[in-house]
Amino acid sequence: MVTMPELQCIVVTPEQTVLDEPAEFVAVTLFDGELGIAPGHTPMIGRLGCGEMRTTYCGRVDRYYVEGGFIEVLGNVVSVLTNRAVPAEQLEEAVVQEQLFSAQERPADTPELMAVRDRAVEQYRAQLRVARRT
Amino acid sequence: MTQARKLVKRRNSIRNIRKITRTMELISTARFSRAMNRATAAVAYTERITKLVGDLVRAGLEATHPLLQEQPEPRRALMLVLTGNRGMCAGYNSSVLRLGYAQLNELRNNLPEVCLEVSGKRGISAFRFRKIEPDETFTHFEDKPSFEEVDVLADRYIEWFETGRIDRLNVVYVKFDSISKQQAVVETLLPLTELVGDEQPDEAPPGDRQHEFFPSAESILDEVVPMSFKVKLFKCFLDAAVSEQVARMLAMKAATENADGMIRQLTMIYNRARQGQITSELLEIIGGAEALSG
Repeated sequence: MVTMPELQCIVVTPEQTVLDEPAEFVAVTLFDGELGIAPGHTPMIGRLGCGEMRTTYCGRVDRYYVEGGFIEVLGNVVSVLTNRAVPAEQLEEAVVQEQLFSAQERPADTPELMAVRDRAVEQYRAQLRVARRT
Repeated sequence: MTQARKLVKRRNSIRNIRKITRTMELISTARFSRAMNRATAAVAYTERITKLVGDLVRAGLEATHPLLQEQPEPRRALMLVLTGNRGMCAGYNSSVLRLGYAQLNELRNNLPEVCLEVSGKRGISAFRFRKIEPDETFTHFEDKPSFEEVDVLADRYIEWFETGRIDRLNVVYVKFDSISKQQAVVETLLPLTELVGDEQPDEAPPGDRQHEFFPSAESILDEVVPMSFKVKLFKCFLDAAVSEQVARMLAMKAATENADGMIRQLTMIYNRARQGQITSELLEIIGGAEALSG
């Protein structure tokens, strides 16, 4: 039997390397929806949105919350460059819910403040979605 | 006996100071290794984003972005000086401040409007002492600057630059080259001269790596450019933190060694004084005895 080639999944933030592990399958949230990457994917560079990243290896699925950034796929190496990457189990639904409410209540009377608020709300909603799936 | 007692008192106070400097040395050594680890961990991101930019450029993309455009006639500049919150680190704060003053004067001579922002209590008080009031001050960047904190600053600078409130951003900080070499430098971060890192991405023959872009190469570049600015700014903060700890470590090591030397010397003088006293007392007794018998 021919062994399946594996992906190497690397997640880095400006502060640290969060993950550097082999994977059979990686799913990430791009700016407009989810993208699945299996070994042998075409080289690509994409913009990430806020949402879940899943890696599957030997039947185990690891889930992370990833906030913006880029993904580059090149020769079975998946590099994810992001501002923030948190394992899904570290997100607590109640805490995120609280943060979401306080973000929604933030006053926004100028277009810039509204943009900031909308971005924060979007990020917390994405976190909430990831947290709820655990 | 007064001389000897004075010496003992002095020696004890030096011993106490030595204890303090020794403890500070140990603390800053621990902090240095932690700061160093953070700085090395941050390199991974820089390397990958440099590679990403390289791939984008190889895809035949012209790098144009508001952050890369130089103003033909710059009018407003912003200078950010990174100093420490604490002293006891030899020439660390003074070297960066000396360069900061010179840079500030130069900018003020050439440009009509110069904004000054200072991070670190030492820098703030030094500028105030010279009757220069900084426009903005920060004291929350300790030895572990987090990306989130720097991100807030970076976002503001990007917005100011894009709206024309500033035409140039200079950062004065102590760059960490190696453990034996740190140097105060001025870096112009805006307009960005090159995208991330000094090293040029290695040239690969075009065509063998054709990337797909989601959504398009241009929109990715739009995101990469601000990000690479943020990473650069973050690196300045990390470098400053590492340099400060190194400087403190070395200064305290020197102070401890100096105290050791002083204690040794004082012990010697004390012993000599004590011996001298004993000898003179003996002589007095012998003299007295001889006077009685004679």
